Amino acid sequence: MDIYLPIAEVSVNAPLIVALGALVGFISGMFGIGGGFLMTPMLVFFGIPAPVAVASMANHVAASSMSSVIAYSRRRAVDLRMGAVLAAGGIIGAFVGVELFRWLRLLGQADLVVSVSYLLFLSIIGGLMLMESLGTILRRRRGETQPPRRDRRPVWLYGLPFKMRFPRSRLYISVIPPLALGAFVGVLSAIMGVGGGFILVPAMIYVLRMPAGTVVGTSLLQIIVTTALTGVLQAGRNQTVDIVLATLLLVGGIVGAQYGARASSRFRAEELRAILALIVLLVGLRMGLGLFFAPDEPFVLMAGANG
Amino acid sequence: MIAADVPTPPLPPSPAPASAPVISAALTDTTVQVSSDFRGARIVLYGAVFDAAARPSDVVVLVRGPEQPVRIARKQQVMGLWLNSRPVVFHGAPGFYRAASNRPLGDIATFSTLRRLRAGVDHLAINAPAEQRIETRYGVRDVVVSRLGPDYYDWRRAVVRLKEQSGLYHEDGRGVRFVDQGLFRAEIALPTGAPTGVYQADILLFQDGKPVSRRTRTLTVEKVGVERALYVWAHKRPWSYGLAAMAFALVAGWAASAAFRRD
Repeated sequence: MDIYLPIAEVSVNAPLIVALGALVGFISGMFGIGGGFLMTPMLVFFGIPAPVAVASMANHVAASSMSSVIAYSRRRAVDLRMGAVLAAGGIIGAFVGVELFRWLRLLGQADLVVSVSYLLFLSIIGGLMLMESLGTILRRRRGETQPPRRDRRPVWLYGLPFKMRFPRSRLYISVIPPLALGAFVGVLSAIMGVGGGFILVPAMIYVLRMPAGTVVGTSLLQIIVTTALTGVLQAGRNQTVDIVLATLLLVGGIVGAQYGARASSRFRAEELRAILALIVLLVGLRMGLGLFFAPDEPFVLMAGANG
Repeated sequence: MIAADVPTPPLPPSPAPASAPVISAALTDTTVQVSSDFRGARIVLYGAVFDAAARPSDVVVLVRGPEQPVRIARKQQVMGLWLNSRPVVFHGAPGFYRAASNRPLGDIATFSTLRRLRAGVDHLAINAPAEQRIETRYGVRDVVVSRLGPDYYDWRRAVVRLKEQSGLYHEDGRGVRFVDQGLFRAEIALPTGAPTGVYQADILLFQDGKPVSRRTRTLTVEKVGVERALYVWAHKRPWSYGLAAMAFALVAGWAASAAFRRD
């Protein structure tokens, strides 16, 4: 059953897209991530023009994050104040990112920046996560005790001005690092078509030193605000949001996420992290590999000839 | 277009205007509606050659879609990485092109005739002003060229090749079939990615390598129903579309969490 997408102007197999949404939704529910980093490359692989895939993903990520954040807020696992600071940064980042992406598209370098961003961020994050989780698994196998987590926060977190109290996270730090982090993730969300959870979560744990309990819920809040804004901006500035595509992904994604969340209880946290790290690493390498090999077709047609 | 220099055939003495060869053609559909189940379309063109003298005739069907500028970049190796060059813009390229004939175009007419009629993918008027100029849009410089130097033809061929790959350009030397005395038919396949707009189909009758009669038919490809409504909304009022799309997504996410609530 094929369906014609009005904005992407291509015909896609509807059950296939719903299944893709369900698969990524399952992974996203299982690992507590948005899954945009996985979905956007796959949509491009299925023939959706990259600008449409990137923009429509914002709607999908916002919806799936919305469905999860409610569950987290019921468990009081959302630091609203920290979320607001991150989101404020995210808003700045989204504005910058959408304009940057528009400019890169006109320059013809959007593909390059997308590939490089995927290669760089996904391989670094994936690599670090894999090392950390494999280390934990090995130590547990050998029966060694886990090394105590260093709780000393970096000095610069305290040296910066504009300090603010975050009671839920038990933090008293400058607002500059969370603001900058939010802005950075906002730019990435516009360029890569991702929510940015895969960068936000580790950064909140290891850089901001937030307690693990509030990290995922708070990051989801920031992701909703950023992707909601990105989605509206992409539609308004670039006319690249395909509501039919986003809806198809949504239907599969929502159902998949629920089953994923149930499946995740069967695995240990470090095993989940190791699997996720492998997926992240593979996607990053796959996206970046094209940069190093001579293409079969030396020419590429670019979208957006009409500006 | 009826060439005065058609060599007079030896047998019939001075063909009277009434017996001048004429081609006639029609399309089975004059509008193609792009709806949610659109998977491309096949339009049948049929027609007849009326020629009292029954001279050997060739039929060429040229279908052109609305003009779409083409932006194309070339991959170049820079420090081991394959990067896109600055995009080059070609004007005058139709968004859809199909040339069908009863035998290969090269056998029907000479190079210059085909070039003048823009018949065949090699003769498409994909070019730009004679000189190179640089356009600045949104602070980005695009090179608009017609002469890229010696590799101009590489670029041109690349445009045609890439368009052919997506089914937008096609040349078929066997696309027109004579089904009976003077009666012919051709099929025009529109891919899913065919642009919307008004298409022009030129049906040409060739005798002795010269076009002697021509008919023009138009074909309209338009989005209809929900597809059209969404497309128009997204392009005419992009901000309200974006807000509505996002509101819908957020409500759907909220509804899902309510529906799957386990406690």
